[in-house]
Amino acid sequence: MILNRRSLMTTALTLGAMKAFPGLSFAQARPLVFATFTGSWEEAHKAVLVPAFRKANADAAMVLDPMLSVDQIAKVNAAKANPPIDVMLHDPGPALVAIGQDLVEPYPVEKSAYYKELISEAQEPMGPAPFFQVVGLTYNPEAVKTPPTSWADLWKPEFKGRVGITNLNSTLGTGWLVEIAKMRGGSEANVDPAFKAIEELKPNLAAVAANPGALATLFQQGQIDISPGNFNAIQILKARGVPVEFVAPKEGAIAFKTTIHIVKNSPNRELAFKLIEAALTAEVQTTLMNPPYLIVPTNSKVTMGGEIARVLAKDTAELKQKFVFQDWKKINEQRSAWIERFNREIKI
Amino acid sequence: MGTAPASRDVTSYGMGLAAPLALFFLVFFVAPLLQLLWLSLHNDTAALHWGLGQYLHFLTDPFSLSVLGSTLLLGAEVTLVCLVLGFPIAWLYQRVGPRLQTIIILIVLLPLLTSVVVRTFAWIVILGRQGIINATLQSLGIIDTPLKLLYTQFGVVIALAQVQMPLMTLPLITALGRIDPNLDDASCSLGAGSWRTFFRIVLPLSLPGVIAGCTLTYAAAITAFITQSLIGGGQMLFMPMYLYQQASTLQNWPFASAISIIFLLAVLAVVSVFTTLGRMSRGYGGA
Repeated sequence: MILNRRSLMTTALTLGAMKAFPGLSFAQARPLVFATFTGSWEEAHKAVLVPAFRKANADAAMVLDPMLSVDQIAKVNAAKANPPIDVMLHDPGPALVAIGQDLVEPYPVEKSAYYKELISEAQEPMGPAPFFQVVGLTYNPEAVKTPPTSWADLWKPEFKGRVGITNLNSTLGTGWLVEIAKMRGGSEANVDPAFKAIEELKPNLAAVAANPGALATLFQQGQIDISPGNFNAIQILKARGVPVEFVAPKEGAIAFKTTIHIVKNSPNRELAFKLIEAALTAEVQTTLMNPPYLIVPTNSKVTMGGEIARVLAKDTAELKQKFVFQDWKKINEQRSAWIERFNREIKI
Repeated sequence: MGTAPASRDVTSYGMGLAAPLALFFLVFFVAPLLQLLWLSLHNDTAALHWGLGQYLHFLTDPFSLSVLGSTLLLGAEVTLVCLVLGFPIAWLYQRVGPRLQTIIILIVLLPLLTSVVVRTFAWIVILGRQGIINATLQSLGIIDTPLKLLYTQFGVVIALAQVQMPLMTLPLITALGRIDPNLDDASCSLGAGSWRTFFRIVLPLSLPGVIAGCTLTYAAAITAFITQSLIGGGQMLFMPMYLYQQASTLQNWPFASAISIIFLLAVLAVVSVFTTLGRMSRGYGGA
């Protein structure tokens, strides 16, 4: 066989193209793709959920492709007929966007063995919630001697220049605003009282962070002593030796349902269902509830333990009583107007 | 061109060699840009109705215009700080021995070798309430309560100036290196003092470097999403964050596209002012 320059080039280009665009060679037989969140979620899912799924499904191939909710939606939207993702994970706001844009399938509830084990708030027919994210008060126990008990404590004069909040880009920031509105007589449809309250909070405000992750840095640097915070994010900081504590305020901790969905037109529909089933089992949720993950379970058969039982809830009954769920359908309607208003009015 | 030349002109090259890069630009730069433009010309988020609504919204909204204004101003401030601090370094570089030159170039380049995120986090440590600046001032008894440096315009300008400094210093070093040192001596021997020599000889001749440095620093400073949001925080809104908010949090892609196009045009306008100045300075330097 004679290799001339031209045929060599063609071969090289073809091989290169196959490497660059693997979809060319195996369009159909791709493994199950689960778009989890980045960071600690990815670690937790890699260590617990993936092994449990593979054990139950004869070592079926799957990959984690961690990305933000908005990126998941953009990617699926760009290729609706042959989506590159099979299973999506969403915060309540983006979940409604994904459902609204017709990107997800209803969960086959009647086929599911574990759906009915979930507490009623987690039973979402378009995609159940395998865990909750919980927002409460975070404080530095070295600077704040008496632990706060209520959202109203943020307004105490002793915290002058020590309070941190985030803007409304995040689920946390928006959820917190709604909770403050409710505390002052507003609701998901009327957050005017919350904006007035933030106006009064200004002397205390040390920082309005661009995202919840930046709050963590501010605690580490002693820039702030108290702020609304995500239970899981605080546990990670605590494990790294930062002096922070989490308390659920007496008005109730804000709980976000993080929901998991089968993507419409997924070529791996059956495996996607199996993965979600694995995420709903009491076994997986129990492992994820224990250190180092401390993820709040939604399966009513999980016995609460450890840090979650200590600061959040000892059992499902207490959880239902202490958690506040918000109406994100209502929130989404006006969220962009609120963000605009926040941009304009909150200057410190 | 049209007629086949008998002998090839050695000063002209075939366009063939540029074709791969041109194609690459066409597919990955021009096409997305056109798509962006197309998207920005729609009035609704689903991109079904054509119209100039997004542009009208931006250009008639004082708040959006103030975001654009503060971003352009931020760029100007950062560029000025970089110029004032960077020029002496470049000047020094031309006047020291080779060993010190190596050290200076290393110091100038060092920031480029670490990621912007790392450099920005370092600034959070420096500017924080218990940071280096506040701790030093407090231990010297100059201040009682820590100054608020993080999440202020001042903090953003200082951090960005440090992060973008190499983009200013490197062109300046090159430009100053091209100036014939004899000109300095000639100026002095003709009776001009050091300052007069600097303002009449060195500065005009280094203008091409100044303008190149300013253009680079300016463009980098106003688009520096990471540093702006980490040091500036959530309530100081600049164009990159405004864009991110609209595109990512609110999924309002047409408005986000319009913001990008307007931002792009504003930056192009500023850069073309710099380029015009550059062209004028070339005439000035040659005169």
